[in-house]
Amino acid sequence: MASRAGQEKALRLLRHLPRVALNNIDHPNPKPASRRKRGAHGGDTHGAGDKGSKARQHFARAGFEGGQTPFYIRIPREDPYKGHHLRREYPPVSLHQLQLMVDTDRVDAGRQIDLTQICNSGLFRLEPLRRQFGFQLTDEGMDEFVTPVNLEVQWASERVIAAVERAGGTITTAFYDMASLQAMVDPERFFKRGVPIPRRALPPQDAVGYYTDPSTRGYLADPEQVARHRLTLAQKYGYELPKVKEGPLTERKDPRQIFFGLEPGWLVNLTDKQVWRVKDPVMSEYFRS
Amino acid sequence: MANRLILRRHHNCGNMTTKMHLLLRSASFLQQNLRQPGSPKCLLRATQMVRLCSTQAGKVHDTAPALPVAAAESDAPALLRPLTETVAPSAAAVRQVWVENMDSADERKLGLLELHPEVFAAFPKLHLIHDNVRWQRMYRQVDYAATKTRAEVRGGGRKPHPQKGGGRARAGSIRSPLWKGGGVSHGPRGPKTHFYMLSHSARVGGLCATLSVKLAQNDLHVVRDLELPSADPGLLQELVERRYWGPSVLFVDDTDEMPENLVRAADQVPHYNLLPVYGLNVFTMLKHDTLVLTVAAVERVQERLLRALSIHNSMAVKHTDASLLR
Repeated sequence: MASRAGQEKALRLLRHLPRVALNNIDHPNPKPASRRKRGAHGGDTHGAGDKGSKARQHFARAGFEGGQTPFYIRIPREDPYKGHHLRREYPPVSLHQLQLMVDTDRVDAGRQIDLTQICNSGLFRLEPLRRQFGFQLTDEGMDEFVTPVNLEVQWASERVIAAVERAGGTITTAFYDMASLQAMVDPERFFKRGVPIPRRALPPQDAVGYYTDPSTRGYLADPEQVARHRLTLAQKYGYELPKVKEGPLTERKDPRQIFFGLEPGWLVNLTDKQVWRVKDPVMSEYFRS
Repeated sequence: MANRLILRRHHNCGNMTTKMHLLLRSASFLQQNLRQPGSPKCLLRATQMVRLCSTQAGKVHDTAPALPVAAAESDAPALLRPLTETVAPSAAAVRQVWVENMDSADERKLGLLELHPEVFAAFPKLHLIHDNVRWQRMYRQVDYAATKTRAEVRGGGRKPHPQKGGGRARAGSIRSPLWKGGGVSHGPRGPKTHFYMLSHSARVGGLCATLSVKLAQNDLHVVRDLELPSADPGLLQELVERRYWGPSVLFVDDTDEMPENLVRAADQVPHYNLLPVYGLNVFTMLKHDTLVLTVAAVERVQERLLRALSIHNSMAVKHTDASLLR
């Protein structure tokens, strides 16, 4: 969709162009007219060549190579692909794209930019059922990243972290399990289910190390250690670490929390515009743990 | 220099899409050179210049008055209808049109009306307009061409002559496609419909694009009502000509019961046509040079289209449709 300025420009142009009428509109990308194989040059074998199974519409099965061991049998399975259907995926979002989103107001830089904000921009789509567990931030455009933002992604490399912190922002890497992800990706759809907000699960065994490590800004890491690593990283890459004021740039979610302002166990009723809390002590204790 | 050459080369080409694309690329040239209507580099014809200057449609972005201008008119009602509170377009994008009179051939401006930019200032998506026009033509098209195959042609059950010994080509049936009078192998088979449904968003988008194009090209006018003083077609023609409305005019009201005088007058003139809002479609809007809508029609069209735009979009501002019940 064009921006408002682009739309205004186009409409202003129309004032000086001939009247749009039935005789002067055309499709910018028309389907090519199909050419039938008829007549002197299209006839005789009609594009099928001479004889053979193809001319007689009796094709061999797909992949058959005339008797030679076919490619799909000849090539052995490889271990690197073993269990690939069970691995977690992190679709990339580049810093360039992020900067563009902030500049064009597709994403609100005044609040924490997390998975939900990126999905709500409409530019990125996450499919948890395809084992996509969140977004990873890539370093394309890291030299031009200048906005201080409060970011929460699922994976980020050291250079990306440095680029974000150099601009005066903060970055956290956080894990969301499948149920939490489905709530995050489309909150309206989740609330319409009428199910209480789940308690976010802890990361699996192979991810615990990443999310408790201050050098990767894990959400389970010690904040003091994280502050120390911020300083170390600034010294490593040679930039001055800007002071980050307490406020929108430092707000963090609880490790069990999915949405800001809403705790696990609460039920959101969109039709009546109500939020219901847990009264039962046992349930309350479970959700708060 | 190169930009001017491009314009001259494509000046007479009929293809709007090409023209739009070219001019969008050389937009800076246009901004510099077409701001003064009298300049020799301007590509407008004299009649078009007069029409554009006579109405103020293009200038409202800079100096749009917030209140109805025709306060001196004794019979001018307060026609400025603020947009509903559920809608929040930016002030610069809101369009304002004059509300004109139909009760005499003389043109009088009775007030101002605000139009929602999503409906009347949408991007002019020519491909959507084309798709809608094509759909309107094709969905009701039926090809009645049908041929008979060798099995359907009468006769041809018996082998005409023995296989061998005649000196003739072998034949199994006198109705084989090789024979004169025989069946057609791959001919058109029976009535064929070209029915298909264009997606909801494409149809809604096409309507909004067409309305925006009409407004941008100064071919959309709003009148308070369609009450003519008499049923004289000459009066209607004089009214249309004096205001430089195009040869063909489409009058749109929100109901299908139109004022009698207009019905009688327009009946005499084949290129003045009447349409209720529910019949509004891209083809008809493009076929007629000028669209004239009543205030009620504008409001109805706007609320229907805003609802249609938001109905499948969970991210859009929702528009209530209470008045759809009437």
